[in-house]
Amino acid sequence: MVVLRAGLCPGLTEEMIQLLRANGIRTVVDFVSSDLEDVAQKCSLSYKALVAVRRVLLAQFSAFPANGADLYEELKSSTAILPTGNPSLDQLLDSGLYTGEVTELMGAPGSGKTQVCLGIAASVSLSLKQHVLFLDSTGGFIASRLYQMLQAQTEDEEEQLEALQRIQVARVFDVYEVLSALQELRDRLSQQVMSSTGPLKIVVIDSVSAVIYPLLGGRQSEGLAIMMQLSRELKTLAREFSLAVVVTNQVTRDSSTGPLKPALGRSWSFVPSTRVLLESKEASWDKGTTRRVAALAKSPRQPTGLQVELDIGNGDMPEPSPVTPTQGL
Amino acid sequence: MGDAPRRAESGTQLLARLEGRSSLKNLEPYLFAEEGSPVHGDIIEFHGAEGTGKTEMLYHLIARCIVPKSGGGLEVEVMFIDTDYHFDMLRLVTILENRLAQRTEEMIKQCLGRLFLVNCNSSTQLLLTLYSLENLFCAHPSLCVLLLDSISAFYWIDRSNGGESLTLQEMNLKKCASFLEKLVRQHHLVLFATTQTLMQKSANSAEGFFPLKLPHETDTDYRPYLCKSWQQMVTHRIFFSKQCSSGNSNGFTVISCHLKRNQVVKRSFSVAECGVRF
Repeated sequence: MVVLRAGLCPGLTEEMIQLLRANGIRTVVDFVSSDLEDVAQKCSLSYKALVAVRRVLLAQFSAFPANGADLYEELKSSTAILPTGNPSLDQLLDSGLYTGEVTELMGAPGSGKTQVCLGIAASVSLSLKQHVLFLDSTGGFIASRLYQMLQAQTEDEEEQLEALQRIQVARVFDVYEVLSALQELRDRLSQQVMSSTGPLKIVVIDSVSAVIYPLLGGRQSEGLAIMMQLSRELKTLAREFSLAVVVTNQVTRDSSTGPLKPALGRSWSFVPSTRVLLESKEASWDKGTTRRVAALAKSPRQPTGLQVELDIGNGDMPEPSPVTPTQGL
Repeated sequence: MGDAPRRAESGTQLLARLEGRSSLKNLEPYLFAEEGSPVHGDIIEFHGAEGTGKTEMLYHLIARCIVPKSGGGLEVEVMFIDTDYHFDMLRLVTILENRLAQRTEEMIKQCLGRLFLVNCNSSTQLLLTLYSLENLFCAHPSLCVLLLDSISAFYWIDRSNGGESLTLQEMNLKKCASFLEKLVRQHHLVLFATTQTLMQKSANSAEGFFPLKLPHETDTDYRPYLCKSWQQMVTHRIFFSKQCSSGNSNGFTVISCHLKRNQVVKRSFSVAECGVRF
């Protein structure tokens, strides 16, 4: 709701604004949607001047259409596919995480979402030498675990250190902190202006449900509005700066026997382009196992229902042996 | 035409427009309840939950429009308004590659040259963009299909911005809806818009939004929530849902209703590499 004021665009003088206001035209939308011939008569302003102002206002505030062919050219050069560090997960995602999209990992607590996120951060930082922004809202980011992953992938200590330095972690505990961290990111990326490939390629938010859940419920729609603002910000960042955005989410069921679906409701379900469900393999009495099953629940490229088995271990972390009852000597 | 200077149309422009208009009858006959649809001036709403194939259907329509006549398409220009950054260009290119006989870069770029894309970030920007697009429609007589994905994207944000007053909440969408109607009427377009199923159907079935309760509405999860002006200008409403049959994770159903003639038809389709297939 942009209000008309002097200097908003060339040709819009203070007197013009006063005359317009006297006739009920206060915002840009009012101006653009009114009949200019009518306005010219009522406010005794020059029709030509009004048309010129209208043209400039529209150019300033409306979105500009792009041609499909040009957009395709641009996308071909700016889209990248980032490896997750786990070949079976890459296969599920059709080679990896695509930039320009939001990918969601959903699963019950303990299903390995944070572990997979750490793996993605390690892989992107080490093998691609790209920067990573990790927004941690649950306190689940453990630097030593990340370090173990890096150690498993390379022996060179200097490389490990450099990889750690490329991962920026921010602890965010409510949605406003998330939004301001994203705003900071946006400012940083905008300043690197001309090149479309800044050093940062991926943003991981673990988890988005932790910051949104407190806002939902009740009859007010403000919580939903903030959730939609956050989702817009994520998608806009992903598209404008060619980033991959990974978010983690909880799961719920409609009834005790219904299928698992992502938490945060229907409105959120439209947001990610790709959704992967992480589950433990059935009947694993062994709590320490690192085996998981990842199923593709939503994808713009692959048919849903694909499943792969994952090992989310740290690499060389020994699997704890199954508990055996002590035998008599 | 409001305040835009009146433009005289040349004979060739008029012919081009009329020609573009009549050939839309072959756009996708399976989607419509009666033959000869869509015609210019139609406003078609795609309604469905997440993952029910609405966006895929839009890609299918785009491909049908931009592929040249030699490839079996309609060779008309399409304007796609994307409000939630959902459009995936790479997916569209894959579909085109699968449908064209010659899959050369040249051919693909030629097809994509008939597609115009614009992204809107708020309902105000959507409204202002529609105003600025008016000129584009005048300048491109073969631009006769307008796709809007989705018109419900700003629902919660608008509702929160409008505070307590329903009028204020719906104001922007109402203006967009009436301007869209004007555009469609004046430039002889066909508008396809998607709306998301944001609300659960209420237990009370006597909602009273429609004077006649069409029988199909009992088995679709449809609870109207957008402003009345939008609901009243829709001529066809197509409900998308996923088939839950065992083993077929790829089946989708469309229930297509022609609102004025009260005709309903139910069809199914699947999504493959080449896009939608009936």
